[in-house]
Amino acid sequence: MSKIVMRFTGVGGQGVLLAGEIFAAAKIKAGGFGVKTATYTSQVRGGATVVDIQLDDNEIFYPYAIDGEIDFMLSVADKSYQLFKNGVREGGTIVIEPNLVYPSDEDRKKWNIVEIPIITIAKEEVGNVITQSVVALAIANTYTKALDEQLLIDTMLSKVPAKVHEVNKVAYELGKKYALEAGATA
Amino acid sequence: MSTREVISSGNDLAARAAVDAGCMFFGGYPLTPSSEVMHTISDLLPKIGGTAIQMEDEIAGVAAAIGAGMAGVRTLTATSGPGISLKAENLGLAQMCEVPLVVVNVMRGGPSTGLPTRVSQGDVAQAKNPSHGDYKSITLCAGNLEECYTETVRAFNLADRFMQPVFVLLDETIGHMHAKAIIPTAEAVKEGIVPRKTFDGAPEDYKPYGVEQDQPAVLNPMYTGYRYHYTGLHHDADGFPTEEIETCRKLIDRLFKKVDDFTDEIELNEEYMIDDADILLVGYGSASLAIKEAVNTLRAEGIKVGMFRPITLWPSPEKRLYELGQKFDKVLSVELNQGQYLEEVQRSMGRLDIQKLTKTNGRPFSPADIIAKVKEVF
Repeated sequence: MSKIVMRFTGVGGQGVLLAGEIFAAAKIKAGGFGVKTATYTSQVRGGATVVDIQLDDNEIFYPYAIDGEIDFMLSVADKSYQLFKNGVREGGTIVIEPNLVYPSDEDRKKWNIVEIPIITIAKEEVGNVITQSVVALAIANTYTKALDEQLLIDTMLSKVPAKVHEVNKVAYELGKKYALEAGATA
Repeated sequence: MSTREVISSGNDLAARAAVDAGCMFFGGYPLTPSSEVMHTISDLLPKIGGTAIQMEDEIAGVAAAIGAGMAGVRTLTATSGPGISLKAENLGLAQMCEVPLVVVNVMRGGPSTGLPTRVSQGDVAQAKNPSHGDYKSITLCAGNLEECYTETVRAFNLADRFMQPVFVLLDETIGHMHAKAIIPTAEAVKEGIVPRKTFDGAPEDYKPYGVEQDQPAVLNPMYTGYRYHYTGLHHDADGFPTEEIETCRKLIDRLFKKVDDFTDEIELNEEYMIDDADILLVGYGSASLAIKEAVNTLRAEGIKVGMFRPITLWPSPEKRLYELGQKFDKVLSVELNQGQYLEEVQRSMGRLDIQKLTKTNGRPFSPADIIAKVKEVF
């Protein structure tokens, strides 16, 4: 892997920032370079939020993802999906929460759009909506194979309180399972 | 110098640098995009016997920080441009009284409340003269995560050396970006601390402002047996108000001379690939991240470009800029404002034919913006 660029989008308050930090930290632990930047609006809660993650074996100067170079995007809000989808390269994968994001037919031709009910999984199967960022983390890594899975899980666990380790492990496994069922290759 | 690797954000690193540099007091008020500086330092300071106070507003925040400086401790406040506007009067007081203080400004879009969550470099002119009257600003500007740490450390040492407020400019991009940084160890920082000068003679001989014309005031910490007076009015050697003609002239002359005669202790620049370059890009802060990427891309296409990046913005590196203006015909100034530093580049180079690339919509430059501009104008 030389460089992988990911983008997570949602609305403020959904917790998409943490997944970005975990990816960057894990890549750095693996000896490479990782940068996370986040852009949000002055509404903070409810405004469109975007997190760009760049993982590279070489040093990264410019911290934002460059439009047209994004390999993988994950979106859990239509407002931010519409605003930020055009950064994804043609043929790139966009995972959407189908209950909240509505891509057009043209979008489906341009990108590999995958529907995974991320929030429903977190809320009903894991039992804690906050774990959606870990479900998203698992989906993103299962698609991009950006990082060694165990390293990513260990990094994730180091960033969440011990009392929620088990529930986050469950969230990761479910995210991975749904991604594989949706067509990600193992 | 021994170093360590950390994974962090610019705001967090600025706060950690302050604590490692011996800062024991923070007074401030949270303001996007600077709030994480306060979050981190309010966690760290109480653990080492220091104090962090969220005051009732920006003005009280800097006033408390200046008070701590008067009491003799290293002190910090952090805010963004709108906060500096409110703090301006007290920053003038600190200049006049010669109270050391570090002010971290994480720049966002302005004027007024502007674009609170978005990036800008719109406070560069403000940092030069936030308050009325004549004084010399010392303003450092971090261009990467490492410098959020190292420039904050440097700011504390400069504040004590020159006895005045020192600005550290970050911006939303650098303050919030999260990545790896290689920074000096806390021990290495501690070894480099040079505390402010103090007077240890007989109290009746102490003249805090009675110093040579190129020297800063020697302010003993308050409550140590040395009595003197602080005022924003023109003052004499003891700090008491005066309108005596020569004393007034010498005071303001000295506020300039104490900095102007020692700019070599303050100036710091980065020169990136300029030795064989045909085109010079001048930029600073987070804009330099996009510039570096653009320089690398353009060079891969055979276009020889280099970057000059002032890390100390004020006083400006005017002599070096003049030399570069003589060497390069093609100069492009790149900044996230309408050209606040361009004027300084023009003045220092003695030229008006500097090309400019500016942006004030709250969005960062992309390397493509810079590449397109270079190809358009040269």
